[in-house]
Amino acid sequence: MISHNALLKRTWPVIVQYAEAHRKPRWVPVAKSKIYRIPKRPEITEEERIELLRVNNNYKTQMRAIRRFYHEEMIKEKSTRESSSSEMSQKLEADDWQRCVEINDKWNAQVALEREERRKKELAKMEEYALARMEAKDRELKERIEKASQEIRKQKELSKTFITPENLDAAIDHALANPVDYNFAIDLQGNQYLGRESPAIPPKHKTTPKAV
Amino acid sequence: MSTPVIKYVGRTTNFKGKTLWEIVGSLKNLGVGRVIVRSVFERYPEPSFMKIVKVETCPDEEPRKVRVWVEKTFRGRKLPNLTEIYSTSYKADYKLIPKNEEEALFASVNEAHKQPEVILPNIIEMPPLMKKFIVNDHEKKGLEPMKEFVMQLTYNHSPNRVQRIAKPGEKPTVDFTMGLGKPASPSLYEGVPLN
Repeated sequence: MISHNALLKRTWPVIVQYAEAHRKPRWVPVAKSKIYRIPKRPEITEEERIELLRVNNNYKTQMRAIRRFYHEEMIKEKSTRESSSSEMSQKLEADDWQRCVEINDKWNAQVALEREERRKKELAKMEEYALARMEAKDRELKERIEKASQEIRKQKELSKTFITPENLDAAIDHALANPVDYNFAIDLQGNQYLGRESPAIPPKHKTTPKAV
Repeated sequence: MSTPVIKYVGRTTNFKGKTLWEIVGSLKNLGVGRVIVRSVFERYPEPSFMKIVKVETCPDEEPRKVRVWVEKTFRGRKLPNLTEIYSTSYKADYKLIPKNEEEALFASVNEAHKQPEVILPNIIEMPPLMKKFIVNDHEKKGLEPMKEFVMQLTYNHSPNRVQRIAKPGEKPTVDFTMGLGKPASPSLYEGVPLN
C-alpha cells in the first residue's frame, strides 16, 4: 500500500496517457454493426467549393515552387562541393607529389654519394688485390726461374761425371776394376761387415762406416 | 401493372452514365464514327466530346474495359493526336450522343465561348520568412546576396491544358503570390480583414 505522502512526493506522474489511434486495423473487415452504414457525403456549398479549390490550387503551386527551388539548390550545392573538392584534392595531390619528388631526390643524392665512396674503396681494394697477385705471380716466376737455373747449374756440374760413349770403355774398366759388394752385414753402430763373395776386410775405423 | 421502383442503396457518385463497353458493345460496328461524352466534362462552359475512331475489345480478365481511340475535343479545342481510352474506360460516366444531336454539338464548338487567353507565370515570389532565411543563409555561407527573391514554377504537362505557360519575355496575365489572394467567393470572408 502506497502512502498518501509518497504519492504526493513522486517525481513522475503515475498515470501516463498514450495517444493511440482508436480504430480497427486495416486488414480487419467491416464491423458487423457497421455493415449497412452508409456514410453521408459531405455537403459543400458551391461558394465554399470554389474557394477551397482556389486556395488548395494556390497552396499546391506555391509548395511546388518551393520544393523545386530547394531541390535545385541542393543539386547546385552538391555540384559545387564536388567540383571544389576535386580541385582541392588535385591541388593536394600535386603538393604531395612535389614533396615525394623532393624527398626522393634527396635520398637519391645521398645514395649516390655513398655509392661513390663505396666504389672508390672497392676499386682501391681491387687494385691492391690485383697488384698483390701480380707481385705474387712475379715472385713465383722468379723463384721458378731461380730454381730452374740452379737445377741447370747442378746438372752442368753433374754432367762432368756422366758416362758418355767417349768414356764408356774407361767406365767399364773402372767398374770391373772396382767391384762393389752390397751384400754385407751391419751392426748396431752401423759397421759394415763385408765378405761373402768379396774378401773380408776388417774395418779400419769402428765409428765411421765406409761410404758407398 | 405498377411501374418498377428503382431504389439505389450505397454511396453516391458524381458519375452519370454507362461504362464505355456498355455503350460500344451494343452498337453496330462497335460504334465507330459515333460521338460520346464524359459527363464530368460537362461542367465546363465549352463543349467536350469524343468521336470514336477505332475500337479494340479486351480479354475476359478486364470485363468492364475496352480499348478505344478517339478524336477528342476538350473545352472546345480539338486535340491534334488521337487519344487512347483504356484505363478510364471502366468508369460509368460515358454518354452516347444520339445521331440527330451530333450536328448541334459540332456546331456549338464554333459558338463564341471564347474566354480571354490565360498566360501562366514562370516565376513566383518567395514567402517572407524564406526570404529572410535565405539572406541569413547566404551571409553564413559567404555567398553573394540574392537580388531577386523569386522561384521557378513548374506545371504538369497535359495535352488537355487550356491555359498557356508564359514564354521567356512574355508578360503573364495572372500572377501567383504567396498571400491569400483574391477570394473566389467573398461572402465567406465577411467581417474578416483581408489586408
